Amino acid sequence: MSEVSAGVRSKKAAASWTRPLFWTSAVSIVAGLLMWELAGRFIVKKALFLTTPSQIVVEMWRLTASGQLKQHLYVSGIEFGTGLAIAIVLGIAIGFLMATNKYAKRALGPWVSALYATPTVAISPLIILWAGIDIWSKVIVVVINSVFPMIINTEAGLRSTDRQLIEAARCFGASRLQVFWKVLLPSATPFLLAGVKLAVGRGLVAVVVAELFGSRAGLGFLLAQASDAFNMPLLFVSVTILAVTGMALTGLIGGLERYFLPWRAKAGE
Amino acid sequence: MTAKLDIWGLSKSFGDLEVLKDISFKIKDQELVAIVGPSGCGKTTLLRMIAGIETPDGGGISIDGKALKGPGPDRGFVFQQDSLFPWRTVWQNAVLGLEIDGKLDSERVARTRELLKLVGLSKFEKYYPNQISGGMRQRVNLARALAIDPKVLIMDEPFSALDAQTREIMQLELMRIWQEGRKTVLFITHQIDEAVFLADRIVVLGRRPGWVRETIDIDLPRPRPLSVKRTPEFGAYVDRVWNLIERDVYASVQEDIEATAP
Repeated sequence: MSEVSAGVRSKKAAASWTRPLFWTSAVSIVAGLLMWELAGRFIVKKALFLTTPSQIVVEMWRLTASGQLKQHLYVSGIEFGTGLAIAIVLGIAIGFLMATNKYAKRALGPWVSALYATPTVAISPLIILWAGIDIWSKVIVVVINSVFPMIINTEAGLRSTDRQLIEAARCFGASRLQVFWKVLLPSATPFLLAGVKLAVGRGLVAVVVAELFGSRAGLGFLLAQASDAFNMPLLFVSVTILAVTGMALTGLIGGLERYFLPWRAKAGE
Repeated sequence: MTAKLDIWGLSKSFGDLEVLKDISFKIKDQELVAIVGPSGCGKTTLLRMIAGIETPDGGGISIDGKALKGPGPDRGFVFQQDSLFPWRTVWQNAVLGLEIDGKLDSERVARTRELLKLVGLSKFEKYYPNQISGGMRQRVNLARALAIDPKVLIMDEPFSALDAQTREIMQLELMRIWQEGRKTVLFITHQIDEAVFLADRIVVLGRRPGWVRETIDIDLPRPRPLSVKRTPEFGAYVDRVWNLIERDVYASVQEDIEATAP
């Protein structure tokens, strides 16, 4: 009991804005940006070698006002979102198959481990050659990069289910379907969410790299444009957006974890 | 004598390994019978057969004269250690059996609330298993088994993972709850003194393959306070059971040593 109440107390303390701990991250970010700005203005001076945060903001404003940024974000977002969704569904299906069928495990296992370790973004040009320069080639690249961590985590999650819990459910008369919904799936959920986290990271890289190789719009296209023109503020706009998106998605998954795994949150304190 | 749980001529082999050989015993209504045996006595297999998830090669099991076909809500199980679902709260764990059986109506919900009160966990319904102690978890386990209102309660070394003091408290608690509801109970344990303290009768099993070595009636008056454990009669029963299984226990220890020897 004392453990429980102690956990609750420490969480409150960390969240209180009167404590220095609460402000540490914010102060660190502001200080870092300030040093960057000062270095760009007074030490390096040349925007080509070190663009400053203020120049990035100005450039971002220009792109937003002209409506270009929205267009690029939309294209990349569709490619990433569609690819990730397909990768998650496909990954869970294949992972389930491999966890429940030993022939499937033997047949697919070597392919999955080999392709998981391969940086498959490298074959993006080939995919673009096959599927065209529009969004579907990027969707495919995202899928082949994001699906493998999903497969591996789903399989591991389903396999790691405590045998004792399955046995308990069966003793209470659970059917195969009930064992899946009430035991296997909830038990695998932490693994599934960890898989999604990995898939998001890989998918973000995949969409940008694929766009770099050949596209008509998107963040990667913007990057390629900036790089060709040595427009460093524009380059950093793309990078900043990617960084913020990555952080936002990680935060979102953190939220999903708290929602789906309340028992873990309460244990972790 | 009409038996609540009747086990006759049960045998089972896995390939060449004979696990159970002609196991027979009966449990009367409202009786508490303990099974004691060394490791290798096939108790896990016996338990799985009573649960209906393993079929015997020979013999059979019946409850109230009806032969068992698969798992059913006429049997409630309390397992060793943590068989609670970590992602379910105390309450959600307690109603698991009812949920699986599709019988989660208001009457049974109310009854499960009563059961949680009976095991002293009313205030902890919203807690997760990792937030409560081992003793509390085994109380939830007990409530979960009782919630389906089974004809026979089967307890598989329910207190083995608890520390010695908590175990004694839980034994007393089980006695109290059993005396209130008077279920028919099959209690499997390694602890001889636990078996003598709780049981009306002890079935002593032998090993490799599992067989019924002897059945001993325990004539100690009820209710039994913890102090009964210090009486000479209690000691005599413990000695008797120990003498029966001593050789088997040494044999199983020796086997473990040989199996792990480099």
